[in-house]
Amino acid sequence: MNSAPETHPPKPYWNPYVAGFLLGLVLLASFVVMGRGLGASGAFGSVTAVAMHAVAPAHVQNNPFYSEYFGDGSSNPLKDWLVFEVLGVCVGGLISGALANRISVKIEKGPHVSNGWRLVGAFVGGAMMMIGAKLALGCTSGQALTGGAVLNLGSWAFMICVFAGAYALAYFFRRQWL
Amino acid sequence: MIAPFFKFGMFGTEASLVVAFVIGIGFGFMLERAGFGNARKLAAQFYFQDLRVLKVMFMAIITAMVGLYALSRVGFLDLSKVYLVPTLLVPDIVGGLLLGMGFVIGGYCPGTSCVSASTGRVDGMVYVAGMFAGLVGFGEVYPKIKSFATMTPMGHLTIAKYFDIPYGLLVFAVVVMALGAFVAAEWAERKFGDGSAGMTGGLLESTRRLTPVRILALGLLVLGLFALVGGDPYRGNTVSIDPRALALSAGRGVVKVSPGDLADSIVKGTEEFRIIDLRPAAAYATYHIPTAENIPLAALAPDSVSSDDKVVLYSDSDMQAAQAWFILRASGDRAAYILAGGLDAWKDQVLYPVRPAKPTGLEAAAFEKRAAVSRYLGGTPRAAGASSAQPVEPAPALITPVAPPSAPDMARPKKRAAREGC
Repeated sequence: MNSAPETHPPKPYWNPYVAGFLLGLVLLASFVVMGRGLGASGAFGSVTAVAMHAVAPAHVQNNPFYSEYFGDGSSNPLKDWLVFEVLGVCVGGLISGALANRISVKIEKGPHVSNGWRLVGAFVGGAMMMIGAKLALGCTSGQALTGGAVLNLGSWAFMICVFAGAYALAYFFRRQWL
Repeated sequence: MIAPFFKFGMFGTEASLVVAFVIGIGFGFMLERAGFGNARKLAAQFYFQDLRVLKVMFMAIITAMVGLYALSRVGFLDLSKVYLVPTLLVPDIVGGLLLGMGFVIGGYCPGTSCVSASTGRVDGMVYVAGMFAGLVGFGEVYPKIKSFATMTPMGHLTIAKYFDIPYGLLVFAVVVMALGAFVAAEWAERKFGDGSAGMTGGLLESTRRLTPVRILALGLLVLGLFALVGGDPYRGNTVSIDPRALALSAGRGVVKVSPGDLADSIVKGTEEFRIIDLRPAAAYATYHIPTAENIPLAALAPDSVSSDDKVVLYSDSDMQAAQAWFILRASGDRAAYILAGGLDAWKDQVLYPVRPAKPTGLEAAAFEKRAAVSRYLGGTPRAAGASSAQPVEPAPALITPVAPPSAPDMARPKKRAAREGC
């Protein structure tokens, strides 16, 4: 899993239009086969609910957010479409990364920020992202991509706000990336 | 019309998990190929240096959008069976802003962080940990913010429907808008970028050749033009009534649900069924089955009720309910039931159940359960006549009961909410 040897430098990323087109075909396949699009954030909710249930079962039963994942208790929240799909995402990313010599243990960041701050940013950003995704009932996959393709009203409002929020803060975090 | 395959019952829930895994592999593969396992590539979007996020996202959106449009227009796919995440306008806006801020601070979104973490990026792994922390925090405060998180619900709503724009026109407009955005993005990359992005393989590439990318853009534009004149993919799916199929389904009998089962479902609060009262509004106002909504038979149309809902229809007797059943089924196969025996049977069996004259232990226990349900729903159990010849006291006229004092001693599991989106 360490940096690729010198003889195998990472291959360049695909042309974004081609990658986007093929990603669109994957999304279309999901619509045709399942009648639903792609997702990601929902799977994390299921895993968190199960983990919380293992630690504090009574607390989970009394909390409307967690208990929703358990329903009437007849099915395991981890036997969920999104959980399996996200497992696939990890595997698919691994396959693609391995084929393109892009697997390496490192931290992606701009040259002017320390590793520590970059990781603090990643943690805080992940937390904010997930709170936003839970409020909006979806993330860039389930709302922007999927809802965008079916012209869902809320998804387009969401998408515009994602770009607005990111561009509004971009200036203040430029040292992290540039 | 055979797609979506899952919604037409071509495979079950277990098999759908395998499908999920395979589709996920495709999704993850494409994200990684696009460069989305790399936070710097993603964040470059917000400094106008490398606008791949916009290019990949809108390319995927318009590809799937024109694909869906074309497949439904040729009658292959029923677009009304494709899930739409319900719109909650204010939470969508606030959530979007938070998510965008999280994006530029953390460098990823949930899907891309998985790819990043699985290809060894430490920042991706820490980001995933942050997402779990955010979820626990959200879960803990959710009871306090629930009213905010569920405000401004607008249901399953497309932009075309909300603004009353023809769906095809909107498809065309989005394609044109996306292609315009690509051109603008390439221009911005030349102006703000270091020259590494967008110079080759773009729409503005300095060659007169019809490059693959230009062919792709042209193809999508042509499909968009078809959409412009192609009509509404939703309304296009009118299913003609096949008399033979109708006769066959009539021969098999309309699917009925017994009053007892329906009552149990109401008491348990499973919200499994949407209950439709087909009688005139005045009759509905006098009495209706709890949680029932009123759509008088005369006003019922095939698309009055979403085809995703499991529906129970009732009126005074079976007759009108069966008519309504045929109306709803005319728009395609769906879960629709009629209340066996109508409101009369509901009254006799659920609201005013009769105690068996000489019950066995088992019968007595069953009656106690029925009696509890009856009291919960505002009825009164009746005693049996002294002899079988003597009629039981007649059931009183129906009026809307006052709120029941307490639920009978039955488990009230919560329904697992449909979470098809993200």
